[in-house]
Amino acid sequence: MRWGMVIDLRRCVGCQTCTIACKQEHGLPAGTQWRFVADCEVGEYPDVRRVFLPMQCMHCAEPPCVPVCPTGASRQRADGIVWVEYDACVGCGYCAVACPYDARHLVHEAGGYFAEPTPAERATARPERHGVMTKCTFCKERVDAGRSAGLVPGVDADATPVCAVACIAGAIVFGDLDDPTSRVRRLIDATNAAPLSPECGTQPSVYYMTADGPTRAAALPPPESVDEVMRYPLPRSSRSRAQTCVDRPAGTDEALVWLRALGG
Amino acid sequence: MAELTAPGDRRAPLELIAGTPQTVWGMPAVVNFTLGGLGAGFYVAAAIAAAGGAPGTMSLAAWLAPVLVLGGFLAVAGEAGRPLRGLRVLRRVATSWMSRELWLGGAFAALALVAEALPAHGLRGLAAAAAIALVLAQGAMLARARAVAAWNVPVMPLVFAASAAVSGVGLFALVELTAGRPAGPELLGVTLATLVSGLLVWLAFLRASVDAAFVRATAPLRRGATAVELVVIGYAAPFALLALALVFPQWAAGPTALAASLAIAGQFRAKSALILAAGQRRPVTLATLTLPRRPA
Repeated sequence: MRWGMVIDLRRCVGCQTCTIACKQEHGLPAGTQWRFVADCEVGEYPDVRRVFLPMQCMHCAEPPCVPVCPTGASRQRADGIVWVEYDACVGCGYCAVACPYDARHLVHEAGGYFAEPTPAERATARPERHGVMTKCTFCKERVDAGRSAGLVPGVDADATPVCAVACIAGAIVFGDLDDPTSRVRRLIDATNAAPLSPECGTQPSVYYMTADGPTRAAALPPPESVDEVMRYPLPRSSRSRAQTCVDRPAGTDEALVWLRALGG
Repeated sequence: MAELTAPGDRRAPLELIAGTPQTVWGMPAVVNFTLGGLGAGFYVAAAIAAAGGAPGTMSLAAWLAPVLVLGGFLAVAGEAGRPLRGLRVLRRVATSWMSRELWLGGAFAALALVAEALPAHGLRGLAAAAAIALVLAQGAMLARARAVAAWNVPVMPLVFAASAAVSGVGLFALVELTAGRPAGPELLGVTLATLVSGLLVWLAFLRASVDAAFVRATAPLRRGATAVELVVIGYAAPFALLALALVFPQWAAGPTALAASLAIAGQFRAKSALILAAGQRRPVTLATLTLPRRPA
């Protein structure tokens, strides 16, 4: 099992919802984003294009940040998730200069957005993260807790990283790269999804789908239900409302027609 | 439909995020690398001189060199987020060059002090070997920093060794002159040879890779005011002064002292430029990104 992601650059609109969802989920202090959407301008005039590029830890299969760590605080799990044990980290920054994706963050003193910490900032303060390296964890706590509850990461929202759940465009797909039936594996196999900066030889677990190559629709069968279209069923608290919508046949058909037209 | 890839080269991957300066390692890291090279180089120079029958500087080097190396460690500890956990850096000697650097620095300091207390060429030789290994480890540490193109080249340990030799011989010459010993042709010749080999290694480093990210990151070291400063202060001016001292031995002390000081200052400037100016992160690229051209 190796967790990974496919990000569809054609669908990303740069709304930064994933950025905010991640900040909220992990209580990140002001100025720290474990993920963000870069607004890139590529090409030469007049053929200039704008590309929104969601960036985060790539959870590389060959992570350069792990062997350089002098304390062993940077670790890689058997399922590929790269993480930092805060209690063991000295904050030397060696992993940060080893990571080609600028995915590691050192916060010496967590500042707030205002002169005094807000109630939310007080509630989410994580002093153990001060002075150590922090990074995207692929929401390993959610993934682990979800799996313990019998949920499937990448299928069930409660077991899936929040960035993928929150994405308004369905641009982020999470799942098991080693499972040939998972959505991420099928997307990678059927499209030209590729990792960033392959010249660094890190074998990232995050792939990016671009404008050329087979479309996403060709890789995946058309959705059969609203639930599948939504990819990540809503948490239980919201499900009853969504189910109400599914129970209305006319509305469902109409939604599917729209979504099929938009898909791929 | 025409496709657009990298400007001017259809095969090159598109650069989506340009390289940005690394901000994690700053002046404390520069001080660590400079003092480490200076201390190690000084000790090795003094040990070689002592083995060659000129032990005058050895007793000073035995304590000053460890102080310089440990001072560098102290300086860089201030940059760490949790310096009080510093000893944990010793844990991953099997994979991390930073762990190895700390071990070698500690071993060097201990061996140098013990060798002075129990004079024996064997111990002194071991301390000198540890000093050389320390500067090689510092270079290897940078060479493993994959995100920074200018550092991530195999020649980096050699760059650090050459830098340590230049600054160490410079300090050795300075100490010899301060102690009132004349700058003989041997000292001047060795210092000149070290300067020339240091410059050759530096020039080789600047051509170590044709990778676009490396070429771009090291551009400030090859062109402009910084490049001139590095070559003039670090190599050309000391070389000229030492040549002057060789030609006019009766006035050798002043030019030699100035040359030695410039050589030390030049290596500090070189480390500073390497870490701060050339410390550019690699750009983020995507090889498969092709975008349709706008219709004419």
